[in-house]
Amino acid sequence: MITKTKIYDLGLIALRVGLGLLFVYASLDKIIHPGLFAKAISNYRILPLPLLHATAIILPWLEFVGGLALLSGRYPRAANILIGSMTLVFTLAILLAISRGLDFNCGCFNLESANDNLGSFKVLQNMGLLFISGILEHSYRKT
Amino acid sequence: MNRLFRQLDSHITIILFGCFLVAINIVAMFNTSRLLKEIIVLILISSALGILAQTILPNGIGLETDITIIGADSDAVQIPTILINSQDGDDSTSNILLTDAFTAFTQGSALFLDARSQEDYQSGHIRGAINLPAHAFMDSLVFLDKLSLELTLITYCDGADCNASIDLAADLKLMGFARVHFFFGGWQEWIDAGFPTDTDH
Repeated sequence: MITKTKIYDLGLIALRVGLGLLFVYASLDKIIHPGLFAKAISNYRILPLPLLHATAIILPWLEFVGGLALLSGRYPRAANILIGSMTLVFTLAILLAISRGLDFNCGCFNLESANDNLGSFKVLQNMGLLFISGILEHSYRKT
Repeated sequence: MNRLFRQLDSHITIILFGCFLVAINIVAMFNTSRLLKEIIVLILISSALGILAQTILPNGIGLETDITIIGADSDAVQIPTILINSQDGDDSTSNILLTDAFTAFTQGSALFLDARSQEDYQSGHIRGAINLPAHAFMDSLVFLDKLSLELTLITYCDGADCNASIDLAADLKLMGFARVHFFFGGWQEWIDAGFPTDTDH
């Protein structure tokens, strides 16, 4: 018999796997094109120049490894905290860029498509991801 | 002197990054929180993979940010070299200073391309410039296709606070245009100098 708890657990697994898949997918284009990603980051004009390359090198792999950990269920809480914090930082960076009137490819998923440009949709998308991350963290705290 | 500072800057980054890795290792050794340890393990794995990937990828980048200085001494701007040179080598574009941009303007020897948004362009632009928003490059292909690849092109955006002119110049170079310059001083320098502009409604 399917109980409420079971449905809740299945839902959590679906969210965890979904979030993991999304981050692995999001990391791929950046991993293959570190130079383009460095350009995308520099457009935000937030990072000090000497940190630009190091960030462009490590951030995509953080997404990849975090996503993979969520997918596989190994270190899920640690991965969720990492991914949640990254999403929070990305959201703030996008908001800051929009408030400065900047308009460019946000470097979120696809580095060269205009569909991936900054905008309120990106903020909403990230808020949704943050919400999922929050639900997962809440469930890990309970157990 | 400036150069020395830049080199120091880059070395400090590497040293800081090394210290960061050592520090999180030490925290991992002594900290008993399992969660923190797991987070540190994930960060370490990602850093290692990221650095390793740069040695394997044909278009890998260095951990140090290469910096190019654009402009004259007093109002020189530092930009990451990666913005100008793509890693494929032969499609680098070069900056053009206000005086040279103005000479090209008076001689009519170059076509000015405004990389800003349509709204910005309409509220004021370099006289004779054509609007090609850098973020919608694909929409401009039909127009660009009609131009000779030998034409001298000068791209610009707001000024030192935007990269759109550099992005557009790189795209044009990739498309095959041989003479592409970006005017990094851009719209701000142009209007500050009181050079001819136009509005478009």
